[in-house]
Formats: sequence, C-alpha cells, structure tokens
Amino acid sequence: MESTAKKRRCSFNKDWETTYHWVKPVQGDSQRVFCEVCQSSFSVSHGAPERSGREFGSRKPRREEGEPRTEKMPLDQDWTAVYPAATPFRAGSVPLPVRMGYPMKGGVPPEKKGNLELIKIPNFLHLTPAAIKKHCEALKPFCTEWPSALDTDAKCDEHFPIKVECTDYVSSGLSVRNPSARIVQLKVKLSILNLDDHARKKMLKLVGERYCKDTDVLTITTDSCPLRQQNYDYAQYLLTVLYHESWKTEAWEAEKTVADMEEYSWEGSPSQKNIMDMLLRMKVAGEGEGEEVQEQLLARSEVQEYKDSVTRLKNEGDNESSVLQYKEAVKKVFNL
Amino acid sequence: MLHLFYSSSSFDFPLSLSVETLHVDPKLTSASASFQACQSEKHLGQFYTLPSAHFRPLFPHGLPYRYQQQVKTFNEACFMVRPPALEVISYLKKADYSKPALRYLFYGVKGSGKTMSLCHAVHFCYTQGWVVLHIPDAHLWVKNCKELLPSSYNSARFDQPLQATTWLRNFRTTNEHLLSQIKTKRRYVWTKRESTDEGRPLGELVNQGISRVKSSSDVVGALMKDLRLQSSQPGADFRLVVAVDGVNALWGRSTIKKENKSVDLEELTLIHNLKKLMKNDWTGGAIITTLSQTGSLYTPKSAYLPQELLGETGFDSMDPFIPVSVPNYSEKEFESAYLYYLDRKWLQHPQSRTEDGKKELSFLSSKNPSMLDRICGFL
Repeated sequence: MESTAKKRRCSFNKDWETTYHWVKPVQGDSQRVFCEVCQSSFSVSHGAPERSGREFGSRKPRREEGEPRTEKMPLDQDWTAVYPAATPFRAGSVPLPVRMGYPMKGGVPPEKKGNLELIKIPNFLHLTPAAIKKHCEALKPFCTEWPSALDTDAKCDEHFPIKVECTDYVSSGLSVRNPSARIVQLKVKLSILNLDDHARKKMLKLVGERYCKDTDVLTITTDSCPLRQQNYDYAQYLLTVLYHESWKTEAWEAEKTVADMEEYSWEGSPSQKNIMDMLLRMKVAGEGEGEEVQEQLLARSEVQEYKDSVTRLKNEGDNESSVLQYKEAVKKVFNL
Repeated sequence: MLHLFYSSSSFDFPLSLSVETLHVDPKLTSASASFQACQSEKHLGQFYTLPSAHFRPLFPHGLPYRYQQQVKTFNEACFMVRPPALEVISYLKKADYSKPALRYLFYGVKGSGKTMSLCHAVHFCYTQGWVVLHIPDAHLWVKNCKELLPSSYNSARFDQPLQATTWLRNFRTTNEHLLSQIKTKRRYVWTKRESTDEGRPLGELVNQGISRVKSSSDVVGALMKDLRLQSSQPGADFRLVVAVDGVNALWGRSTIKKENKSVDLEELTLIHNLKKLMKNDWTGGAIITTLSQTGSLYTPKSAYLPQELLGETGFDSMDPFIPVSVPNYSEKEFESAYLYYLDRKWLQHPQSRTEDGKKELSFLSSKNPSMLDRICGFL
C-alpha cells in the first residue's frame, strides 16, 4: 500500500470536491472531510477518501423504514397467515410488547425491536390453537372414527388393557427415515395381571424403575432393535416372560433377608421383642411363662396400637404426625 | 422470696400494660426449696434462676457453649420453663421406679432448645437427690480422638483415656456428695497390683480412674455397670438418671482411624458400655436423651426427626421410647425471652426497644432460640 511509503499525513485536497461531489471540507480541521450522504465527518489523514473504504462512489441514500406491520393488524386477523410455518421471531410481525434479556443496573429487560435473544430461541408462534385446529381439519380425511362404545377411560382400560405407543416422524430432508421411529412403549396396569402376593413382589423387584406406584402402571420401553415391528415383538415377549418368571419360586429366594423386604412387618422384628421383654419384666399380665402370656399380651389394645404406630413409622418414614402417634402409643403402654 | 411477674396476657391486665411498661419482669427468682412450686404449667414461659450452689457442681459440662458464655456475662444462670421439659418432669414424677427405666428422647430442629431442656430435667433430678450420669455430647467420643489404646480388658476393643478421664472428673464434681455413700458391689482388678475391693465407696473407684489414666475407660465401664446393678435392687436408696446428649452418635459412624482403617463403633469401650447402659434392662431410674444433628457425622443438615438421625439400628435399640418434640419459641415464650434480654440490658440498640424492633427480631430469628441469641448478640 502506498501509504506505508509516505511519511507525511494527507490533508484536504480541493480536487476531491469535484471527483466526489459528496465531499465538503470541515472548518478548522484540514485533516477531516465531511460526507453529505451520511452527514458525518471522517479523518483523511491516512489517504484520500476512497482509500478509507467508506464510500464507493455515490450511494443511494438509505430510506426511512416504514411502520411495523403490528400497527396495521386488525384484532380478528388470521394469525396462521402471519406465521404459517416455523420462522424466527420478527419483531415487526408480533403485536406483543415482549421484553427479553438481562436488565442492566437500574434498567429493564430490552424491548423486542432488534432483540437477538428473542430471535435465538425457538418460538411456537406457528402452533397456536387456531393453527392446530387447521392441522387437525387437514388430517381428518386420513383418520378413522373413534369407536363410539369406548367413550370412557375405564372402558378403554377394560377392553384394551395393554397400550402400545409408537411415534411417526415427518420431516423434509434427504431421507424420510427417522431412527427414533423404532421406539415402542408398552404400558400395562399391574392390577389387570393375575399376580399373587409373592408374584407381585417379585415382579416389582424384577422391573425396578419401570413401575410407577401412584398410577400402578408398568411401562416397558424397547429400542434395542432396528425396526419397530421387532421392538414391538420384543416388548410383548418381555411382558410374557416377566409374568411367568414372577410366578416361579427359585431355590435361592429362600435366602431373602430382612433388608430385602419391601415393607416392614412387625412380627418377629426387634421392636416386638423389645416390647414383649419389657411387658414381661413389668409383670403386667401376671405370673406365668410361655405362649399364653405372649398371646395375652399381644391381644391387648395398647400393644396393637403400638404395633400400628411402629409399622407406620417404619413404612412411611418420619413425619411429625407418625412420631406423635408413636409417642401416644408408648405412653399408653407405660400408663403415663 | 418469690416474686412472679407475668410477661404476657395470662392475667386480666389490659394488653397495653404488658409490653410497653419495661418494669414487667419475666424472671422469677426462687430459693431451691420452693423450686418444686415453680415447675408447673402456670409458669410456662418464665425464667427461673439456678442457685449458684447448684450450678457449679451440676454443669461442669453439658451446657451449650453460647449459654455458658451468657451465664458468665449475666452472672446468673436462667432457664426458661418450657413445655417439653415440664412434660418429661411430670413423667418422671409419675413413673413407677420398680419398672424398667423409661427412655425419653428430645428431638427438634437445630437450636430449638433440646440441650437446655435436657439440662432442665437433669437439674430437677439433681434436686431430688438422684445420681446424675450426664454425658455432655456423645459425638465427642466418636471423633477427633488423639489417643487410642488397645483395651486392657478386652483386646479387641479400643480405649480412649483422655475422654474417659475428663468425663470422670466432671462426674466426680457433679456427684461428690453421693459418691461417698454408695459402695461398690464387686471386686475390680485393674492390674496385677491394683484392685478395688468390694464395699469400697464409689468415690475411690472414680479417683482410681482419674489417677490411672490407662485404665480410665474400664473404670467408666465398671462404674456404669455398678450403678446400673445397684439402682435396680429393691433396697436401693438412690435413683440413677442417665442423660446423654447427641445419642444418635452411638449408632452412627465414627471418623476415628486406627492405622488408616476406620474404627467401628463397637470397638470403642466407652461407646460399648454406654450402649449397654441405654438398654432398659435395669430399674430405678430414667434415661433422658437428645438427638443432635450439629455434631453428628455423615447426616444431612436438615435431618431432625428421630428415625432419620437414629437410623434403623438406633431406633430398634431405643425402642420403645417416648419422643418429646422441642419446638421453637411460641409467641409467649418469645416475648418472655425478649423481655429478659431487655431486663438484663443485653439489647443496647435503641430500636430494639420498639414494637417494630421486636417484630423484626421475631421475624429474623423465626423464633428459634439460638438464632435469637445470636442476633441479639449484635445489638
């Protein structure tokens, strides 16, 4: 570049006024030049205006931006026409006074005009209820009628206890296949299955996290096979195997320890031993040893209450009310 | 001389009188003879002063640290009469001491006054002339042990001589007057040359433990066993109260390491003997305990209910026990505490005397006794 060879600075040259008619000199500063198009001055100490790279010949003056579309939107417009497909946020098209961003000290979140934060995030303005309705109307010719006999959830559960859920994906791209379409989810309520006490406990242990206690629903999700049909068969197979296995009793199941038990059972627990010992020592039931005394003691109402409170405390865990109940029961046993 | 002033409207005073007039005194001073009269529901929320003759021997250990500082500052020890302690005292009065010892457990959120309630109950027992076996904090015995010796009695276990000697010293201070009266029932052999014969006063046993540091943990064990056996006998003339603060340490974990291996709690002599004492196979006394999350190891900060802190084994060992909840201050108790601080000129800030200031204190501390104490310390 020639400027590196020059050792002195440039100043205003009269010839520039004829070459570039937007150039005007600045009073008081020979090293600055005033541009009439952008109404500002810039320095020319490093060369002629063209080299500063700001203006290349004449340029069309920037026109005023018009009113945003939001001003002209009627209240009962068709929103699906404004946002027919997934598009980034356009501040001029969304008639909502949205603000987004971190408020600087003493300020508020910035407005929507020119707000990059609003443009960055995904928006669902193309999926308003009106749009969804239109989608449903468009899909209706391809659907079959829902059977009229199945109008309540209970009836659906009764006739179709096993629910299978699969998802289809539509996208435009090089391929119509979507690997997520192979996932199959099978839901069934355990109360439908014929399980006795042992089978139910074993089933719950086998199944683990897949069972939801609140809704009593077992959910099996299969995605290990590449095709949906294979996954569906596998899920059905799993259900069958779980059912049959939980009915069988293996030899090693006899080694189940107290720590494995799902619920606390008071009979045979240290708590029972303690209270029996205590009551015997307090000689509450009168003299006598052996089974009858034990039976008698067990039958007393205080002991029953005590048993209930301890079971509740152990099963439910701690909370104020269960601890209070335990306290009352113990007080009764000691006649306080 | 007994003067009672009621801090809030349990009388028919007009409400305006009870708060603004600062010469309403929440304290009630009592001589130890009429101490009994003070322990009833009528006096809920009021403070009673411990006579200094009782304070020195009874609490060489066992009070919360901040409270000890407060006692030094105010030159008097004042306890507030609160429902949990009164409840336990009433059970102690009603209980039948030929039956197995009853276990009481104070539980509550951090800083709600469990240790103070325990000390209140212990003071009651002391005034009745019971033998007080007060372990100030069981957590101290399971952590930060500088010296760990293999036990002379049972080689599988470990002794903690330092902790045992400190405790024995404090025990002697508390029960000075009773130790000379109670005699040992068995013969204890410490080493080839030293032994304590049957029939010697317990004081000698304790002194033995303090002087011979090596066998102090075993002395503690022997002491506990002896007291237990003796109070169970029908002709015993004394009763035993076992007060343990932070009882959940007995069934928790320990951080003591021996040759880089963590020591199991069963291997510590002191803990082993204490656990034996916790079992209710003896009669003629009571066991009062508190839970404590503050010193406990490996428990979450928010845990305060019995089962969470005791664990499965702890609960099964303590079962059946009477859990007593220690809540934060009620309105009345808070007012009383506030007036007490004002009375002792502890609250210097001018705004603390206003109604607004009081509300602010109540809100900031959410009526938690220890929080209130800490906040008032700044004012």
